[in-house]
Amino acid sequence: MGQAKPPSASLVDTGLVHAHGLASIVTLLIAATFGIIVSIQLLLPDFGSNVAWLSWGRLRYAHTQGIMFGWLGNAFFAFLYHAVPILTGRPVTSRRLGLWLFGLWNFAVMAPGWVLVLAGVSQPLEWAEFPPIVDVMVVVGLGLAAIQFLPGFFARGLESLYVSSWYILGALVFTLLAYPMGNIVPEVVAGASGAAFSGLWIHDAVGLFVTPLALAIIYFVIPAATGRPIFSHFLSMLGFWLLFFLYPLNGTHHYVFSVIPMAAQMGAITASTLLGLDVLIVVTNLFLSLRGTGFVPRDPALRFVAAGTLFYLIVSMQGAAQAQMAVNQAVHFTDWVIGHSHLAMMGFASFAAAGGLVHAWQRIPWAPYNARAINAAYWLMTAGLVVMVSDLTIAGLLQGQSWQAGAPWVESLEVTRPYWLVRTLSGIPLAAGFLALLWGLTSGPRGAGLREVENGVGVEPVAEVAPRLAIASSTVETS
Amino acid sequence: MSSGHGRVLGMSYLVASVAGVVFFVLSVALLGYWPKRVLDEQTRAMGPEYVLELTPSERRGRAVYSREGCAYCHTQQIRYLASDRARFGAPTLAWETRLDYPHLWGTRRIGPDLSREGGTRSDDWHYTHLFSPRAVVPQSVMPAYERLFDDAPDRPRQQARDLVAYLNTLGRARELAGPEGEARAEAGCQCPDDELANMAFGGELNAHPARTRRTHDTPPLLPAGDLARGRQLFAAHCATCHGPTGGGDGPGATGLLPAPMNLAEHQYAPARVADVLWNGVAGTAMPAWRDHSPDDRAALVSAVLALESTRLEPSLPDNLMELGQRAFRANCVQCHGERGDGSGSAAAELPIAPTSFVRQRPTLSAALRALRGGIPGTPMAPWTTRLSDAELVAAAQYVRTLYGAPGAESR
Repeated sequence: MGQAKPPSASLVDTGLVHAHGLASIVTLLIAATFGIIVSIQLLLPDFGSNVAWLSWGRLRYAHTQGIMFGWLGNAFFAFLYHAVPILTGRPVTSRRLGLWLFGLWNFAVMAPGWVLVLAGVSQPLEWAEFPPIVDVMVVVGLGLAAIQFLPGFFARGLESLYVSSWYILGALVFTLLAYPMGNIVPEVVAGASGAAFSGLWIHDAVGLFVTPLALAIIYFVIPAATGRPIFSHFLSMLGFWLLFFLYPLNGTHHYVFSVIPMAAQMGAITASTLLGLDVLIVVTNLFLSLRGTGFVPRDPALRFVAAGTLFYLIVSMQGAAQAQMAVNQAVHFTDWVIGHSHLAMMGFASFAAAGGLVHAWQRIPWAPYNARAINAAYWLMTAGLVVMVSDLTIAGLLQGQSWQAGAPWVESLEVTRPYWLVRTLSGIPLAAGFLALLWGLTSGPRGAGLREVENGVGVEPVAEVAPRLAIASSTVETS
Repeated sequence: MSSGHGRVLGMSYLVASVAGVVFFVLSVALLGYWPKRVLDEQTRAMGPEYVLELTPSERRGRAVYSREGCAYCHTQQIRYLASDRARFGAPTLAWETRLDYPHLWGTRRIGPDLSREGGTRSDDWHYTHLFSPRAVVPQSVMPAYERLFDDAPDRPRQQARDLVAYLNTLGRARELAGPEGEARAEAGCQCPDDELANMAFGGELNAHPARTRRTHDTPPLLPAGDLARGRQLFAAHCATCHGPTGGGDGPGATGLLPAPMNLAEHQYAPARVADVLWNGVAGTAMPAWRDHSPDDRAALVSAVLALESTRLEPSLPDNLMELGQRAFRANCVQCHGERGDGSGSAAAELPIAPTSFVRQRPTLSAALRALRGGIPGTPMAPWTTRLSDAELVAAAQYVRTLYGAPGAESR
């Protein structure tokens, strides 16, 4: 396990990796544009407000759905087309199915989803804003993805699966189960009860779809790029199962101090704390696996993934803390939470997805690859993210303080204004980073990525420290 | 790896996989289904028997609210927290949300919570605010919804009317349930020792600092307001409607009926201004400003008093006074009261309290304008058909003499 075999041209359908990869970055640019516009509208509220589809609420819906399904969805699929054949030793189910999935995801989910939301056909439910007709398409898409990617794992037998395989299995199965929680149940279960189900999905969207696939990428890219197994297979699996046990039990922490029964709130808060401990296990294992690659690994894919791991640690500790009642009452409803969600989706998940994308791209023999642009993308995205999250965190604390003080409401807006300006400005390096990523994967010589891999871009620093890691590596080679 | 080890491992994966599904089912059962059962039971035990459905217009308004993402800046969930309760009122009970398909609780509060918005603001305030939020709240970051209007805040289209109708339903069911409803909810809660659950009861239902009241429990005015600070606050909060010099001609004024008071053409008793700042003017768009500190309210009082025009009023012959008094006694006392302090026998029935001339002295031209044209949007009608021109002038002059009469500060 662990040692990713060099991709064989006969196994990996590089065309589908490429198609989903490009679609992911194009949708990322569109979704980020929506995000930048809504951030500008908080500074200039009249900007675009008399054009219905440009109004804040609708763009806000389109922003998060675009990030989750368009960018992360496509990037995950691109990674799966690369990784699943390597993990299972056989190609995905069918290329034809792949074309259908690509078409469905982008032209029956993303395109109509966006058009409908902007036209005013939507649901006011978080992470579930696409209207029910599009929800059906999402479920069909997830079903097709399960047929496309999962059979190989079962053919291989569960006992010999690498941890990434488990995450992929878990993500595709549980997202299918969890999706209706937030998308359908609140439409038929009213008010507070509906909110309880909404809470499940708000958390499961991140916990059972985004997080497992991002972790699947991280667990895959680290050994594949370093040529060294993951530090501990046992810790990997422990982390995996704890995550799948604990994540779904977190939902109600989005409604602390609400009328939802206190026992459910306390249960969710406890689960949140335990989840924080679980993430410590996962991240310790990942960091130990990254030992010797340097603070900033040379391989850009590995570097994205390493940064994603660090952000995962921070965002999870933050999450466990903000579920606690004392913290929650000060920061809930504020920009702190917006900072938190950007750290999760932009920091952890997007860095992991970008890492997976770059890693897969390097191994497409005919794909253009521009190392300088990808390097620039990494630094621009890191800079933008760090500024944005720090800025929103401080803004959230100030808003909470203003509310607690009982000051007139508008004072909480006045104190926020400079921070909103910085947040919008932080979108410039982020957007430039996304453009650089697109540039990095569409310019440069064809096959440059593969040459770089062959020259040992990710491996070289490891060679220097490998002797030190010999013992740790040998002890985990048990399975 | 031995094969025995492999079998055990394989079994453990099977067990773990089953456990994974079990935990997911558990999450739905514990955090979804079980809370739903508890909340359904609470709704049955604590909610009024008769469910207050939304009208078709209110339902359409809710769809507009949903479509435009209002819930992403305005929560509809008052938490069981002192700070939430102090600002918005009684924490949200389960039964209040029983018709919310889907819920609109929200997770970010850029604007204030709207759970108890019904009855907090007047319709014309809402229309003006939707048409151009910064025309009434200069610091607002809300998008303008001009597209729901025909080019003017007082010409709302159907969707704007529906939306305001919906806003007026927020918190309505609980208000209409009245004290009986509160008693039933508290009894049904069966939680005498649960401090948190009890936060839902006993306090003010709608504690919104802008909500107008007709009661007069104004806290005593601090003696000296800081005029400079007051002018600053006036510019920041009041000038949008009352205009920079208090002429009632701010950008927010166009859609409001009754129009914002022209503060320059009135002389006010300080207590009158303090009263309006604390209680608002019920029946008009003038909200209360209870969220401002006592110092700031005193400063605002100073700023408002300083707006009074210094123009000399014409002096009229004394014999007019008697005519004015007669006209006033014959026509005005039912509403404005014998002493002109707004305490007439019909006053309590009127949607907007009649002016107390004891605490508020209009200029002659303002009084005459009101007598001749009435005050649109209020019960004050034109008197040109009932009174002669001389009587009108005389009555206008007479009400000016009532200002500051002894005993008038008692109200």
